[in-house]
Amino acid sequence: MPTETPTKPVEDSIAKVNDDIAVGEDLEFQRRWWKFERGVWVVLSILVLLDVIGVFGRGPLSTAHRQTPDGALRVQYDWVDRFQTPSNITLHFGPQAVHNGTIRLWVSDEVVKALGNQRVSPQPVQSITGNGGVQYTFAATDKPNSVEFALQPSIVGETHFSLRLLSDDPSQPQEAFTAGVFVMP
Amino acid sequence: MYTIIHAIFGYFFLLFIVRMLSRRPGGQLTPFEFVIVFLIGGLIILATVGDDKSATNCIGAILTIGLMHRLTAQLRSRSGGLSKWVDGSPIVLLKDGQWQTESMHGMRIDDPDVMAMARAKGMKDLGCIRYAVLERVGSISIIAADEEDAEKDEDARPEEAGTETRDEELAGQR
Repeated sequence: MPTETPTKPVEDSIAKVNDDIAVGEDLEFQRRWWKFERGVWVVLSILVLLDVIGVFGRGPLSTAHRQTPDGALRVQYDWVDRFQTPSNITLHFGPQAVHNGTIRLWVSDEVVKALGNQRVSPQPVQSITGNGGVQYTFAATDKPNSVEFALQPSIVGETHFSLRLLSDDPSQPQEAFTAGVFVMP
Repeated sequence: MYTIIHAIFGYFFLLFIVRMLSRRPGGQLTPFEFVIVFLIGGLIILATVGDDKSATNCIGAILTIGLMHRLTAQLRSRSGGLSKWVDGSPIVLLKDGQWQTESMHGMRIDDPDVMAMARAKGMKDLGCIRYAVLERVGSISIIAADEEDAEKDEDARPEEAGTETRDEELAGQR
């Protein structure tokens, strides 16, 4: 036996204009919407401006500079990075960082894992992993030297990384600092 | 997993932005609006698929967007309130020989936009229009000023009968 097709009576449910034409206009809602729309465009314009100046990464404000008190290590990095987007940490070493023709640098694991270190340039002569990070040894002269870490962050959110200059003399304090990076999705 | 999250976010973000851009992108595509459609579409795909170019990723993203669309359509059909937020409500632009300037300004629609739709229906000037209604899909429905005009329009353009909106059909029957 065939089942009955469900039906519904036609009602005059659409509001009419001039009691003439069924349009279903809701001007009050529309006025509220236009007001909301204006507010949203103000917010979106501010977001674009913030993006231009680099608050969300890859702009003038996203780059940070830090250095150790004795000037042995100066670091340039992006405090706001973007997920899976290449960026760099550039380290500039002063003559104080060079000991016996080498620079020994310890970087925390976050640089390799969360910030996705892809390569180190120039290549270190030695890399030793352990102690919650990697210890690199670079051949260096007394002249100013720089090393670049090419990153591609793989984890969204805030990450803190540490860098420490190591010296041969255990009595000398090790220059170090910690910096925070926020990785945008 | 990232693709699925990006696809869900991308779908709702795009829905929101297109809604903010007023109704015209879906209705009357001028070169001005083609730029928006192609550029937004091209940009959103970059973040959606990322660097995974596999067919699995592509199919996952398509299925997610399809599901989101189905879910939104279902919720929209059940809730009149949500329907208004997603699609808006129809808006009268011209009534009894008077432009509804608040609505025209709010929807960023000018007289030539309405006249263009009227011409497409075979009308020679704005005086032939009794009502002009901006529909939720972005098209403008034109209802002729009187019965004779409406019948004349019908007779003049029999080949376009299949493309008329329901409002025009009603006008023709009056």
